[in-house]
Amino acid sequence: MNHDRAKALLPAYADRQIGAIRRFLLGRHVARCTSCLAELEAIHAMRTAIRTNLPIHRAPPSLAMRIGSALPREAPPVVRPPSFARFGWAGSAMAGGLAGVVLTLAVTRLTPPPDPLVADVIADHVRSMMGEHLMDVPTSDQHTVKPWLSARLDLSPVVKDLTPEGYPLVGGRLDYVDGHRAAAIVYRRDKHVINLFAFVSDDRSDAAPARDSRDGFNVIRWRMGGLTYVAVSDVEAAQLMAFVRLVESG
Amino acid sequence: MATDSRNRRFELLAMPHLDAAFNLARWLTGNTTDAEDVVQDAYLRAFRYLDAFRGDNFRVWLLTIVRNSFLDWLRDNRSGRLVFQPAPVESDWIDPTPGAEAMLLERVDSETLAILMAGLPAEYREVLILREIEDMSYKDIAEVTGIPAGTVMSRLSRARLALRKAWIENEKTP
Repeated sequence: MNHDRAKALLPAYADRQIGAIRRFLLGRHVARCTSCLAELEAIHAMRTAIRTNLPIHRAPPSLAMRIGSALPREAPPVVRPPSFARFGWAGSAMAGGLAGVVLTLAVTRLTPPPDPLVADVIADHVRSMMGEHLMDVPTSDQHTVKPWLSARLDLSPVVKDLTPEGYPLVGGRLDYVDGHRAAAIVYRRDKHVINLFAFVSDDRSDAAPARDSRDGFNVIRWRMGGLTYVAVSDVEAAQLMAFVRLVESG
Repeated sequence: MATDSRNRRFELLAMPHLDAAFNLARWLTGNTTDAEDVVQDAYLRAFRYLDAFRGDNFRVWLLTIVRNSFLDWLRDNRSGRLVFQPAPVESDWIDPTPGAEAMLLERVDSETLAILMAGLPAEYREVLILREIEDMSYKDIAEVTGIPAGTVMSRLSRARLALRKAWIENEKTP
């Protein structure tokens, strides 16, 4: 191997990133070439210097806790409020309120909630905004959201853009509610998010809307067309009911 | 809810690499507070995209995300100040006596080395950390940094040359 070629490959030689044959040929050259040998020694010296003397920064113990508490999970063990910096339109408005809500949720979990479904959908609703997983299909086009959901779930929920009525459709995602695979259709009312869940439950008979509220959230559920629908939001109860009526009539 | 098993899987895969992630972020951002934010952001993303991890090396996948989070952090927090700029070409610089210097370089104290390292462009710092501290192959470095595999060696060469040059200049000025 000639000198120029060898010199060009020296870093890969020092890093042991070349194959056996080239390594052998290069080794033969380096043994006879003082310039290449000096270069090789310089690379090794620098490596030794970095490995022995460059300060290694270990993660502070608080970082693991901070990440652990920011990860979405069923009963978030909140140590401190997670960063809401990347929330965009939905988060900034509700950041303060959410942190309190999560704490409240964690506390209410200690006593068995009377209706698991209500607690479940509220937790889903909160998590959908905290985990940066509000939408799998972020689009206001009902003709995109509906087939997207239908293709992934064995159900075809009502999806319609209610922008003229003040409830614009913003997207959809897959979720789980009360042990069922569910479609989550996301709407907006001013700065508030409305999650509308739809899933197949054991009881398929039609049922009129019934309202619950907890921790500042309103929950309205009803059944129609063999599907259970649950709307969750922190908008006022009357506004949420108006929304439900619009969906119902569709 | 399948959340718990997912959390468990994530903890097993990701938490062992927290020090590596933090060290890289710390050397890229230059301070602890920002490094923590970058790492937290990267971990939340990794959790979210956990199902997309198909490779056999989680550390490589995770550090790729850390680097992306760092780039976003640059864009969000340092708009106007371009930290991740292309490094100057150093080809005209000729090492005077590499042999004699090698012995001395090994004895550079850690405080000096940290200052010299911090003075390098970020694109040099990252390849040096990935190669010398994380002991990554050229292929893995290419994956994390997004530069072509054939470019890793020359990038590393220029990084080493720049560090060596900074060290020699530091020695000259008492």
